[in-house]
Parts: sequence; structure tokens; C-alpha cells
Amino acid sequence: MPPLSFNIIRQSTQLSAARRATLVLTQATGVQPAADKDQQDASARRVIETPGCLMYSVKGSVPHLTPDTLRLQGFGGVHVSIEHLLQEHQPAGLEKWPFSLSKFLHLQDLILFCDIRDPSRYHKVPFNSDHHVSMVTHQGVRQLTLEEYLKVVRAYQPDIVATFADTISDLDQTESGKVNGKGRGQKRVRKSVERSLKWLDQILKERQGIDGLAEDRALKEASKNIKSNGSLNSNGGNASKENLKSAMDQLTQDAQRLNMSPTRSAWKGVSVFAHVVGAQLEQERIRSAQETAKREGVDGFIIDLKTVPGSRDEVFGSLKTSIDHLPVEKPRLVYGMQTPGGRHTRAYINHLLKAHEMLATVLLMSHNMHQYSQFFAKVRQSIQDGTFEQQSALFVKRFGAEPEETGSLHAAQAVVEASLSKWNRLDGDDSEREAAAEAAAIAKDERLKAKELRRKERREKNRAEGLQKKANKVESLRKQLETEHDEEKEPKMP
Amino acid sequence: MKSALKWDVIAKCSTTKARAAVLNLPHGPVNAPVFMPVGTQGTLKGITPDQIEGLGCQIMLNNTYHLGLRPGQELLDACGGAHVFQGWNRNLLTDSGGFQMVSLLKLAEITEQGVQFESPHDGSLMLLTPEHSMSLQNSIGADIMMQLDDVVSSLTTGPRVEEAMWRSIRWLDRCIKAHKKPESQNLFAIIQGGLDPALRKQCIDEMVKRDTPGYAIGGLSGGEEKDKFWRVVSLCTDLMPREKPIYCMGVGYAEDLVVCVALGVDMFDCVFPTRTARFGNALTATGTLSLRQAKYKDDFRPIEEGCDCIACKSYTRAYLYTVVTKETVGCHLVSIHNTAYQLRLMRQMRESIIEDRFPQFIHKFFKDLFVERSAYPEWAVNALKSVNVDLLKEGDN
Repeated sequence: MPPLSFNIIRQSTQLSAARRATLVLTQATGVQPAADKDQQDASARRVIETPGCLMYSVKGSVPHLTPDTLRLQGFGGVHVSIEHLLQEHQPAGLEKWPFSLSKFLHLQDLILFCDIRDPSRYHKVPFNSDHHVSMVTHQGVRQLTLEEYLKVVRAYQPDIVATFADTISDLDQTESGKVNGKGRGQKRVRKSVERSLKWLDQILKERQGIDGLAEDRALKEASKNIKSNGSLNSNGGNASKENLKSAMDQLTQDAQRLNMSPTRSAWKGVSVFAHVVGAQLEQERIRSAQETAKREGVDGFIIDLKTVPGSRDEVFGSLKTSIDHLPVEKPRLVYGMQTPGGRHTRAYINHLLKAHEMLATVLLMSHNMHQYSQFFAKVRQSIQDGTFEQQSALFVKRFGAEPEETGSLHAAQAVVEASLSKWNRLDGDDSEREAAAEAAAIAKDERLKAKELRRKERREKNRAEGLQKKANKVESLRKQLETEHDEEKEPKMP
Repeated sequence: MKSALKWDVIAKCSTTKARAAVLNLPHGPVNAPVFMPVGTQGTLKGITPDQIEGLGCQIMLNNTYHLGLRPGQELLDACGGAHVFQGWNRNLLTDSGGFQMVSLLKLAEITEQGVQFESPHDGSLMLLTPEHSMSLQNSIGADIMMQLDDVVSSLTTGPRVEEAMWRSIRWLDRCIKAHKKPESQNLFAIIQGGLDPALRKQCIDEMVKRDTPGYAIGGLSGGEEKDKFWRVVSLCTDLMPREKPIYCMGVGYAEDLVVCVALGVDMFDCVFPTRTARFGNALTATGTLSLRQAKYKDDFRPIEEGCDCIACKSYTRAYLYTVVTKETVGCHLVSIHNTAYQLRLMRQMRESIIEDRFPQFIHKFFKDLFVERSAYPEWAVNALKSVNVDLLKEGDN
């Protein structure tokens, strides 16, 4: 029995495709022997109600929320980006931590969804190749190969893993911070679709325990051989392409023979969500969706709206294009969706914001998450009641005017993030006591510096004196020599 | 004068001057000796009031100077005080704003009338008089309020120290007169007098006559020698009335807390635990862990074994290493841990006093923290010797 099941509870009977469902994770037994406690924690049934959302996290923590505050929000799943977890050259704790990522992040009671890149960031067309995707880490841009990613998945055992994909964005950030759509070449888009499908296949093989990458290596070897035989130039004529193809077929067969039976253990507790790509090109979106839908073993689909430019209608049009070609019985996750936005008063939060206190973002985050939670609960209820279409029409009428362009969303987000990061500077001012301590430290520093300066001066002085003495000596010697010289010369002078 | 507190000493250490007590305040009881976390601007560095309460904290500090500037007296009056404003239903203590004289001296001018500040926000001049300080603290509604005192740096010598001491006494009189709610808010006097025993004695004599509900030892923790610091503290606790709580301002390093409790101090505050947390430093019984260091990258232990704070229950050092000084969550977690550590230390001291094994506790505490006897700070050894605990002598365990 697969660990993940998607149960549609109610399909909207009216015009829309809205449905209410649950994404249930019954049990997670990892590839590696999990500790008793881990299993105990995981034995509880974990659920995401849909329509719903995953909580976004940075480095595996939902921004500003400590684990106890997080549990108050009422969400079933967390999204973790591998690129955040990279420390130096590999994800945190990867090789030495014997348990799952869930346990490392203290998220055992929630469904852990793992992708490579941060879904909230807007990425320009990344420098991906056939072998790697680029990601942004604290140490700068880094490349991640599929092999490394698979290693991460095996070690971390997330509940759901996103496929390795060449997701390209069609948006370009200008200097003024505005984001405009800029048509990407069809060729690049097609390439992204092909790469993503190829990587998807390899991940699905790996999932069954077949070392697909060994095949890949064999193929690489073959192409190298052919290249060295000189029968193929880099662009490849038809004839040489066929050559390569036959050689590849041969090798694939060899490899398949070798790998017919799984060489390693299959993933038991890890489900796979596949990225559906295609940027702004309709036919590529359709192709990507159709091809991905054909693959067996895909548990759900991911569509990244951040990759599509245009007005809201155009973006939703693109989303619909993809969704129309995906199987209805499986869950779909969309990145880049926005919904409009206790006892703490507005006055208190206003004070905290003005005072640049970190509790401001804690309370606001808490509040906003609660709003999201309520929002989705209402959506689910309306589907249940069969009133979704009317409710959503009302909703759009009330809130639907802004924002129109995806670009303006990004710009607004950039502004908010910039100011927030300023407020949340971890080394920020605390109190006057702190200022005093700092002033004292500076004063001490200055005292030390002055002391050092005095010492230096003394040294210099001593040195100068020494030099002067030496100089005097030299001078006197020179004079002596001169006089001697003169004396020597003198007789010759006349 | 009137008092809105009840001070019940429940146990006294038979060796040192330490005591365990319950300080009953308008917003509930406080177990003493107590460490009070500092929420300068009406918030404790990203920790929610629920979390602070969950740590077992019974009293927190706010800063009059800061709250007076922002959100301002008018708003505090409108919403009914700082407790309601920050959603904190336990006790609050506000300092008078006097400490800012030392720390913001560049901006302040002290006259008999009061302290003239330059507002750091708009540069306008503000005069903080004892009357104004009282009025602000009445609006804040703290359970304990501090008199406005004339603070001089503990490094200052000469006639200025004496002047400040006498002025603090005069200002105390003005504070008592201006205090509008003595039945619901307790005013504490602050003993001044620098490092001079004679001045301290004079100050205590005068202030005890005013009969305030509690007393604070002020003008210390400004960079003076530790050996002078403890002598002043010990002198003060000897001369102060034993039936009232004694608060030593700005003390918060673990070893200072232990020594001062042994010298008879009941209350402490310090920004150190939360401030150092923001730089990724976690406090433990065996010393400080600087979680930014790469050696914690693969360290899968909690910060401190046996600690029941949310950081230790949820995460390993390896995980914290990835978030400290980078994410606000990292800062919140270490702040929570450090506050939990301070409160636990105080709880342990209190329990050992009640069970009359405080000297043994002191021995163990120093051994855990410094390991080698040779590493024990000399001033602490001297201070504890003065209350009959010889750290360097075997057999006390």
C-alpha cells in the first residue's frame, strides 16, 4: 500500500473543477532503519486537507515561528527547500545524521514536502545543464546534480519529494525592481521540458531501486567513444545522430539487462511529485503535462506560476492549460498563488514594528497563517456545500481587483522583504544597556589602540634615536674619512 | 510608606546570607531569588508572552524611558497600562529611566530638577524629572517601579559620587510625593554611593527612614573591579532591612548570580542572556556554546541535556548551527533556551536554600562551570569565603 493517498471527498457539481479532498500519509518507513521513537512519531496519521496549502519554510523553519507557535497554525504540511539547507558543500547533517529530515527539523507530526529550490524566490533563467541545476546558497550559486539530489532524498527521506526539474522562469528583473515578462526562446523552453522528463524518468527508476544513473554513465561513455571515433560533430548530423542512437540503444539494453532487477532498496516512504514545466508556451505546457501524466509512479504534480508572465488572466490561462492535461484523481500543487491577506492589538503590533522588535513579525506571521488556514477552510466548506462557484464569484468581486500583474506582486514582495530584513537584523539594537556595553567596548578598544599607538610611538622614537645615533656615527666616520680623504687629496690639489 | 507587596521569607541558608522567599505582588506571586528577563520595549526579543509564561517566568522588566518615548504615555493611559498593552498578565518591573543617564550621557544633562535628554528619535529635548518618571511609571502600571536616581558610573570618583548619592535621596522624596498609586504599585529606592562604604552606609541610613517596600543596589555593574563590586553588595545586604526584598540591578552572569544570592540578594535583571543569544551563544551549566562554530555542524545533542525548553526538546545543536544568526527563529530559540537556563538556575538555587544545601550547590556549580579550581575567579572565591563557603577547600561536597 502506498504511503500517500489522495481521497476526493466531494467534486463540485457545478461548472468548476473544484474538489475537496484529503492527502493522507498513513505510515512512513524509511529506507534506512528508523529509530523506534521516529517510527512512533510517524505512526500517527498525517493529513493535508485540500484545497489547502503547505507552510513555506526557510532552512526548515517557518519564518519567525518556533515549533510551539507553528503547531498553533493548523496546517498539515511543510515545504522545505534543499538549497536552504546547504552548509558548505552538503546539506546539513546529511551524512552523519542517522534519522530522517523530519526528525532533524522536528516536523515528524507534519507532512514534509521537499523540493530543491525556494518556491517564493523569483529565479531568472538559471544556468542549468543536462547534469545539474543551479541553486543559490549562502556560499553563492552552487550546482546540484541529480546524483547528489538522489543521495539527499535517500538520506533525508522526506514524505514527498519534488522531481529534479529544469524550471525556467520567463520573468526578468529590471534594475528598478519591476519584473516584466520577456519571451524566452522556444528552444530553451523545449529543452527544459525534455530535461525535466528525462530526470523524472531517472527519479522514478531510482524510486524502484534501479540505478538509472549507471545507465546514464554508460550512455555518456558511449557518446564519448563515438565522439572520439570522429563520427559525430557537436551539432550532430542526421547520420551521426542515428549512429549515436543505435549505440545508445545497444548500451541501454546492456544497462537494462544489468539493472533489470533493482540493485538497491526501493524508496518505501517517499512519494514523488513531478514538476510540470513549459513556461509561457502553450504547446510545451501541454506536452510537459501530457508526458508527465503518462509516467507511472507519479503521485502528484507541481505547477510553478512564477515562471509565467502576463496579466492574471494570462497566468491563470497557463495554469488551466497545464491542469487540463493532468489526471483528475491526483493532487496538484501550485507555487506562487496568492490570497489576500487575538489578543494582541493593532496598536501593540504597530508599536513593535516601529520599535523594530522581532515579536512584530512573529505575531504578524502567526496572524497571516491563521488567515490562510481560515481561508482554505472556507473554500473547502463551500465545495462541501456546493456553493463554491457563487462564493468565489463574490470573493473575486470583493478582493479581485488587485494586484493585476504578476510583476507588481514580485515588486511588492521585494519591498516588503527588504524592509523586513532590515527590521529583523539579528545584531540590531537592543537597549541602552547594550549601547552602553558597546560604547564601553569601543572605548576599551580605543584605549587599547591608544596604548598600542603610544607603544608604537615609543618604539619609533627609540628607533629614530637609534638611527640618529647611527647616523651621527656614520656622519662622524664620514667626516673623518673626508678629512682623511681631504688630507689624501690635499697634496694632489696644487 | 504604603506597600502593595507581601514579602515572606520561607527559608534561610544556615551558612551564607542566602534566603528563599515568596514576593507577593499585584499580578501574582514571585519565587525569590528571582531573575527578571528584560523586555526593554514591552517585548522580550521575539518571544511571545505565552512562551515567557510557559518558561515559568513570573516577573519581567520593561523600560520606562523607552515606553515613555514609544508608544507614549497617552496611549498607555488609553489602553490601561503596559500589562494589557503587551498581553502579559504577570508582574512587571519598570526601571526609572535613570540608567540611561550613564548609557546615554552624551545626550543627557543632569540638574537638580531632573535629567534632560535629547530624544534619539527626533532630537527634541525632554526633561525627565522624578515627578515625570513617577507619572510615566504610574501610567505603565508596573507592579514594582524604581525611583529616579542620579546614576554615576561606578568608575567615577570624587565629590560627584557623593553629590549623586544625596541627590538620589532628595529625588526619592520627590518620587514618594509624586507616586499616585502606592496601594497598587510598589516604589523601590535605589542605594547609591559608588564604591565608597561610608557613602553607601549614609545612603542606606537615609533611605531606610523613607521605608519603601523594597530596595535596590544601584550604581554597580559599570565595569568596576569585581572584588570591589562584591564588597559593596555584601555591605549593602548587611545594612539593609532584612524584612524587605533586595534587588541588585544589572547583574546576570551565572557566577555573579550565585555569589550575589549567597551575599543575600533576592532579585536580578540583565539583558545578557537574550542579547548573547542573538549572536548564537547558548548558556549551559558547563559554559557557553557558541553555536555558530563549525564544530557543532554534526553535533546531534541538544544544547543542554535535561533542559525542557522548546529549543532543547525540538532541535539538535547541528540544526541550530544552520539557523543561528541567520534566521530570526534561530535567535528566538536560543533566547528561549537562555532565559530557561537563567530561570532554572534561580529555581535550583532556591530549592537548595529551602533544603539547606546551598553551599553544596555552590561547590557543584563552580565545578561544573570552571572544572578546575585554578580557573575559579578569585573575586568569587573571596566573596564566598566571606559567607563561610570555601570553594578551594575539599570536603564541602
